[in-house]
Amino acid sequence: MAQERALTVKEAMSAAKSALESVHVRVIGEVSEFNDKPGYKAAYFSIGDGQATMPCMMWRDQYQASGVQLRCGVLVELSGVFSAYVPKGRMQFMVRSLQLAGEGVLRMQVAEVARRLEAEGLMRSDRKRVLPRFPQRLAVVTSPRGKAIHDVIRTLRRRYPLAELLVAGVQVEGVGAPEALVHGLRVAAEAKPDVILLVRGGGSYEDLMPFNAEQVARAVSRSPIPVVTGIGHEPDTSIADMVSDLRASTPTAAAEAVSPSIDEMHSEVESLGRHLGKALSHRLEGAQHDVRRLAERPAFSDPRVIIGSLSQRLDLVSIALNGALPGRLERDEQRLQFARESMQRTGSHLLDRPREKFAVSAARLHDLSPLAILGRGYAVCFASDGRTVIKQAAELSAGDRVHVRVAHGHIGAVVEETGE
Amino acid sequence: MEDSTLKSPEEMTFGEALAELEGIVGSLEGGQLELETSLERYERGVALLRSLQTKLSEAQQKVTTLIGELEVDDTE
Repeated sequence: MAQERALTVKEAMSAAKSALESVHVRVIGEVSEFNDKPGYKAAYFSIGDGQATMPCMMWRDQYQASGVQLRCGVLVELSGVFSAYVPKGRMQFMVRSLQLAGEGVLRMQVAEVARRLEAEGLMRSDRKRVLPRFPQRLAVVTSPRGKAIHDVIRTLRRRYPLAELLVAGVQVEGVGAPEALVHGLRVAAEAKPDVILLVRGGGSYEDLMPFNAEQVARAVSRSPIPVVTGIGHEPDTSIADMVSDLRASTPTAAAEAVSPSIDEMHSEVESLGRHLGKALSHRLEGAQHDVRRLAERPAFSDPRVIIGSLSQRLDLVSIALNGALPGRLERDEQRLQFARESMQRTGSHLLDRPREKFAVSAARLHDLSPLAILGRGYAVCFASDGRTVIKQAAELSAGDRVHVRVAHGHIGAVVEETGE
Repeated sequence: MEDSTLKSPEEMTFGEALAELEGIVGSLEGGQLELETSLERYERGVALLRSLQTKLSEAQQKVTTLIGELEVDDTE
C-alpha cells in the first residue's frame, strides 16, 4: 500500500462527514439544551440518557412538519444520520424524523381513543347536561386519601355546607384504577346524588392515565347523573374531562363549579326578602291609592250628596205636587169664593151705572138721529134709486124723479127745474 | 296556589323554596294580583324566606362515605 499523502484538515473532516453520513440510526433520549430561535434555519438540541450526550439538529421545515413541541426533559425517538459540520469540526446528528417516546406514545394512544369517542359523538356539546343550581347531594369519586378529597371537602364546607357530600373513595392510579373508577362512578350514581364529581390531584401524565381509559370515559358518558371532572392541574386534559358534563381544571375548581357560594346565597335571599317587602308595600300603596281616589269622590266624601240630591229632588217634586194639587185647589177655591162674594156684593149695583149711561146715550142718540132733525121740519132728497142723497142741484135735471123723506112718510116728486 | 297544595317550607329543598320565593316576588311585583292574593303570597314568601335563612345559617356539611376509608383531617 503506497504511502498516501497527508490530507488537509478540510479533506479529513470531509472524509469523516462522508463516513458519518452512512450511519443511519434510531435513537431514544431525553431532550436538553433545546434552542429554537425563530431566525435559525434549524432547531438545535441535545439528547442524552445520563451516560452520553448527542448534539442534534433538525431543519426547521421538517421540525415543524413533525407536529412535536420539543422542550427540555421530553423523551423523544429520533431517526436520521450522523454528520459533521466541517468548518467547526463538530459532529452532530441530523434528525430526519422525530416523535415523542414513552409518554409520547401514551399520548398517541390517548389521542386515538379520543378520536374514536369523538367520532361517536360522546364529546358533543349538546350532550352536556345543565347542572342543578342548588344540589342537595353531591357525590365525589376520588382517592379516599390525599389532597383532592381534602380540597373538595374544604371548598364545599366553605361555600356550600347545605349539600350532603357522598364519598366514593377508590383507587385512582396504577393497574386496576380504571375498573375502580368505573365501580366508584356506578356506586355514586346508585346513591342518586344531584351531581357526581370525578376528581384527582395533580400527577404525571402516566399517573393520570386511568382518566384516559376508554372504559372510564364510557362510564362517565353514560352516567345517569351529571359528572363534573377536576383532574390534575390546569393544563392537563383527560378524555374523562372531554366526555364529562363540565370540565373543571382542578378538584377545588370542580367543587366550586357545583356549589353556589353561601355568601352569595345569603345576599340573594336577603335581596329577595327586600324585593318581597317592597313588592307588597307597593301593592298596598296601590290599593290605598285606589281606595283613597274612590273615597275622595263626592259620593263618599259627603254622603249627603247622594241622599241630598235625592231628597232635594223629592222636596222639589213634593213642592210641585203641593202647588199642583191641594194648594191650587185651595187657591182656586179662595179665588172662587172671593169672586162669588165680590159678585154678590157688586151684583146689585151692577146695572146702576150702565143704566145712567144708557139714558144719557139714548138722549144723545136721539139728538143725533136724522129723524129728530126731520122732526124739526127738514127733509132729505134722494135720487130715483132711493139711496143717493142729493146734495147739489146739479146732480139732477128737469124731469128726474126724486124721493123726498120727511119726518113722517115720503113724497115722490118730479124735478121741474134746477138752479144754483 | 291553594294552601292545601303547598309544601311546608321546611319540607322543601333550598332550590325549590328559592324558586317559589322568586316566583312570589315576581308575581307581587307584577302588581296584577288581588290584594287578598297579594297578602297570601306575601305571607307565604315570608315563611319561605325565614326557612331559607334558617337553612343557610344552620347548614352543617354532612359527609357520608359510600366506599373506601376516608382519610381527611376534619378538624379544619
